[in-house]
Order: sequence, then C-alpha cells, then structure tokens
Amino acid sequence: MLLLITRPLYDRATYYLFYWAGLLIDEARKKGVRVIDLDKDKAMRKKLHSYLAKQPIDIVILNGHGNQEAVAGQDNKIILSVGNGTNLLNGKVIFVRACDAGAILGKEIMKMGARGFIGYIQPFMFPIDKDSFKKPTEDELASPVLACSNQVGLSLIKGRSTAEAQKDSLDKYTEAIDKYSSSEAINSFLLPILLWNMTSQVCYQ
Amino acid sequence: MEEKNNTQNHSEDIINLVIARLETIPPNVEMSVGNEGSFSIDELIEKVKKQDAIGKKMIEMQLAYLRSLGKLPTQDLQNAPANN
Repeated sequence: MLLLITRPLYDRATYYLFYWAGLLIDEARKKGVRVIDLDKDKAMRKKLHSYLAKQPIDIVILNGHGNQEAVAGQDNKIILSVGNGTNLLNGKVIFVRACDAGAILGKEIMKMGARGFIGYIQPFMFPIDKDSFKKPTEDELASPVLACSNQVGLSLIKGRSTAEAQKDSLDKYTEAIDKYSSSEAINSFLLPILLWNMTSQVCYQ
Repeated sequence: MEEKNNTQNHSEDIINLVIARLETIPPNVEMSVGNEGSFSIDELIEKVKKQDAIGKKMIEMQLAYLRSLGKLPTQDLQNAPANN
C-alpha cells in the first residue's frame, strides 16, 4: 500500500493538522505502509500532481485549508481544484481534511473515477487550548475533535474501505459525544463542535 | 479560499442565547475556523453580535446542537444535517 499525505505548515490550523497528520504517518510506517510525505514547502501543486501521475498511490490524505471547489497546500496556494488535478485521483481513495471541500470538489473527484472520498461540507473547526499550543497532539481540547477526524486515516491505513472508515470515524464521534454528555463531564462546550464536524463529514463511494 | 456567506439574519433572542453559550467557554480556549484564522471567545462573541460570516457559523453550530438535544441515542445524530 502507498499513502500520499500533504501537511502544509504556516498558521495555527495547519500547525495542528501538521502534527496530527504526523500521527497517521507514524501509524502507516508501523504497519509497513509506504508513505510519500509532502510536508511544508513540498505541499505544492506541481509536486502533488507529479506524484499522483507517476506513483501507484492507493490513499491520498490532504490536510490544509479549503473551500467548496479547492484544497490548498503550503502558504494557502491551491494544490487541487475542480478541473485541475481531479482526474489524477482515478482509482484512489481520498480523505480531504479541509473546510467545505466535500460540497463540490469531492463530487467532482468521484466523477473522475476515485474509489472513495471523505471530506467536509462545512468549515472544519476545532478548539485550541492556548496553554497547550506547543504540544498540539497533547491538547486535551483539540484532541477529541482531531482524534475523531484522524480515525478516517487510521482506518484507511488498516485497509478498511471508505465506507468503513467513515463509520469508524462517526462511531468515534458518537463515543466522544456520549462522553462529554455525561453529567460528570467537564468541557461540555465541546459538544456543539463535535456534532458540527461529525454531521459535516461526508463519504462518497 | 472564501466561504459563502449565509445572508439570513437571526433575531436578538437567538444572538443572546448563542452569546450566553459562548460565555461558558473557558478563556484559555481559541477556536480554529478554517482559513479564517483562530479566534478568542471574546472575538467570536463580537462576530456573533455583528452576524458576520464566522459569527453566523457559530450561531448555526450552536443551534444545530440545541436542536439535536432530545434526539437520543446519539447514533441518530450521524444522519442529522449540519446546516439545519
């Protein structure tokens, strides 16, 4: 199995996604999955398209900012958009962790022959504990949201289908919502955020 | 990377409800809202008052949650629309 992952790093959101996506890379390597890591300045359109055209990639995970029709890489430069690169995803499974890209881009990717797509049809939002900023994977407020989202990648790396990865992730959201709904729970303000991302996460196959 | 703006304005009662909910969030929390940036709770409250694009997303998020209450078990929420 060959995984390609983009990890731009230039603002707070991408800083968090960079390290959380790093956990996916660690897990992939543990499982013997080969990884193409397009981090920081390597998260550029030309490199992404070149790898997609030349390498037998099975899974693509794009982290970064997005809108309904495009996903960005380093410095908010677009790396994939409707009509520009979606044909290169033919036969692959794609997870786009970026705002809104499930609305139009995801459907276009499927039309171009992708095996599956998971993404978001609304802005992807998460809380940050300012006191934990230096350790994003240990941020107890960001972790519930980002762990549920990361589950998509973890399941795909394990060889689960797109639909199964979506179910695994939604199950994790459900568990988190139940946990923070209990009367003893602190940080119940996380509930609307968890629900928002859970219900914004779409799966096409 | 611009987001589409919801043109609907909300009533003062809804605004006050959402602000009251945001005021329960600890001050050490920031919210990352896509490529719009990260915002303190006070900044989010101002955005809700102004009903700008981010403020409206905060309102949508809180209202979606409030509407979901009572829909138990939470398995049912997997099918709930985000923009209801």
